[in-house]
Amino acid sequence: MSERPFFVGYVGLPRGSRGFAAALAVVLVLGAGLLATMVARSVDDPGPGAFRFDLGPQKVTGIVELTPAPVLHVTEGTSTIAPGHTLMLSGQGKNGALPRARALEGRLATASGILLTRGTLDMLQIGGGEAGLGPATGASAPALPAPEPLGRWALAGEICDGKCASGAMLPGLGIAHKACANLCILNGLPPVFVSTRPVAGASFLLIAGTAEAPMPPELYDWVGEYVTLEGLVRRHGDLLVLTVDPATLERAP
Amino acid sequence: MSAAAAILALVRTWLWIGAGVAALFLTIGIGRIDANARNAFVFRTLLVPGILLIWPLVLWRWWCIERGSPWIARYRPPSAHGAAAVAMAILVLAALGLSLGARQDWPAGFEPRRLADAAP
Amino acid sequence: MSVKYVPVQWNRFKWGYDAVLLAGMAVFLWAFLRIDAAVLGHAREVSGPIRNARAFGACAFAMMTIILCIGPLARLDARFLPLLYNRRHFGVLTAAVALSHASLILNWYFAFSPAERYQTVLFANTSYAGGVAGFPFETFGIFALLALLILAATSHDFWLAFLTPPVWKGLHYLIYPAYAAVVAHVAWGALLDRGSGTFTWVVFAGALGVVVLHLIAALKDRRGVRPETSDWIDAGDPATIAEGRARIVILPSGDRVAIFRHQGQLSAISNACAHQNGPLGEGRIIDCLVTCPWHGFQYEPRTGRAPPPFTEMVPTFALRIVAGRVQVDPTTAPPGTPQAPVPIPGAVTA
Repeated sequence: MSERPFFVGYVGLPRGSRGFAAALAVVLVLGAGLLATMVARSVDDPGPGAFRFDLGPQKVTGIVELTPAPVLHVTEGTSTIAPGHTLMLSGQGKNGALPRARALEGRLATASGILLTRGTLDMLQIGGGEAGLGPATGASAPALPAPEPLGRWALAGEICDGKCASGAMLPGLGIAHKACANLCILNGLPPVFVSTRPVAGASFLLIAGTAEAPMPPELYDWVGEYVTLEGLVRRHGDLLVLTVDPATLERAP
Repeated sequence: MSAAAAILALVRTWLWIGAGVAALFLTIGIGRIDANARNAFVFRTLLVPGILLIWPLVLWRWWCIERGSPWIARYRPPSAHGAAAVAMAILVLAALGLSLGARQDWPAGFEPRRLADAAP
Repeated sequence: MSVKYVPVQWNRFKWGYDAVLLAGMAVFLWAFLRIDAAVLGHAREVSGPIRNARAFGACAFAMMTIILCIGPLARLDARFLPLLYNRRHFGVLTAAVALSHASLILNWYFAFSPAERYQTVLFANTSYAGGVAGFPFETFGIFALLALLILAATSHDFWLAFLTPPVWKGLHYLIYPAYAAVVAHVAWGALLDRGSGTFTWVVFAGALGVVVLHLIAALKDRRGVRPETSDWIDAGDPATIAEGRARIVILPSGDRVAIFRHQGQLSAISNACAHQNGPLGEGRIIDCLVTCPWHGFQYEPRTGRAPPPFTEMVPTFALRIVAGRVQVDPTTAPPGTPQAPVPIPGAVTA
């Protein structure tokens, strides 16, 4: 009778099985390292977005407009942020700046915080309290720049939350990030459309909400996917604002 | 209450009942139904998470043992490995297949088009 | 086979097994996390918590894939049985790695928000009807994690004795839907998010490997035909049963009997070990005791009783030899019932 080694755990490995078991152990440990390296090396580039702590705190003055995501038409800038620029505003974490911005709509305000940038997309994460966003003292508000209608457009790209996309999370786009993006937008962070190619010079468009919601509710199901859509584009300051026609949303081919 | 809050409330209730069952079972029950557990206390802490999760099963088995259950049931292992393997295979293949079908590439070639001039 | 329960019944083999497991896990995480933006040529580093979550998530997937392969491998080749012996420790470690992954995700993607994070994970994405892309794949992960936690939490031997092996094994069938859910979690989340093909190949290879091994083992394991008689069951030529080994026979009830040959005499006990219903008939007689191939539980072949101080028992069966053939009485005698061993005609008895 062929006596193949018989394994009993509490006795230990029989002599004839030790080589096989040792080989399995080596394969497991080396295989783990190899597999992890392969998977980690296949990670996609998370993009160039970042919190710009290197630029230091930014303090700017401008006129507050609500789309209803709050934006600031800068009248007095910094060495980084030029007057005439239109900045999206966010609170800290996944908190929108809308509750604080509402009282300042159409008024001159000072905002200070940290800039987030990703290419031409940028956003100011404002600090807490009135120091972060408060009425500007002394000056009377100039008139809001009149929005310039640019017509109805057919676009392709991705709906995301502007803060993660501009570098608060790396990567801050894509399907795996969808729940996070939804949560950010629900909490009032500016929803942004990333277009495949520039539209009138801009690849990032702020998505207009409704009177009740920061983003039309029909859009949540499409966040993170590549979509085609139609909508009206208007220029607010130097920022493009897109009013999506939800009936035209389709999965990109 | 939102659906999410309701689900969480249910989960918390489940765990609290489990805590009650654990307290009862680990102090009174376990020694009554398993002689090997008498005078063994350290291992009981390892049982707490299990009781929190599957306390209805614990109560059912406790009742069965107190009542006396037929011994033959202990020696009849489930024989559904084959069926379980086939079901798992179908689900795994479906998950992978659907994922392949849902893959998207960034529509880089799409050129934005102006459909109409600004409305008057 | 403890007399009194202890938290973990350590032995040298288990120490070695766990050391290899921990080493494998540590090497995986280290190898994953050492690949940074500089190595990849990216301008920016992936956010720390996301990198960590990916490392732990990939590690949990790999561990679960290996665990799912152990069962069928051990069915197909007995040399893999040592992997089965301590598989419960592997499972507990996997549950811990999966929990770390979930906690990293929860404290990153679902944190920093005014709402409670356990709630946000439930309401942030509700596109259940919107197709595969954008489906809340986190739900699959939550289900799989819950299943892994239940399996890990019920891995102590007490649960086997308390729930009975069949109920315990039934509960542990949860690993099958859990693995399918993990594959869906990865395939509908991470895979749809990646441009690179490497990770897709790894996931497909792992998942398809598990599927193929299980199907092969299921084919091999197809149960034999049950005899339709209430009479004694023919169990073949007794002389062809090897010394110290068993032949497994199926009864009309579907139960299996292991007929062991020990010192030229035959004894029949249930094929299902009292501990985890391991296949006693695939074990051997060591030191006059039937020894289970899974965890080494032992029984006296004539009585089906574990040697003192252990208390486990298995049912026994009466045997007879008629016209040179061995026959089994299909009536199951209660666990521990002594049966007279039947000498094999012409065999040398001790």
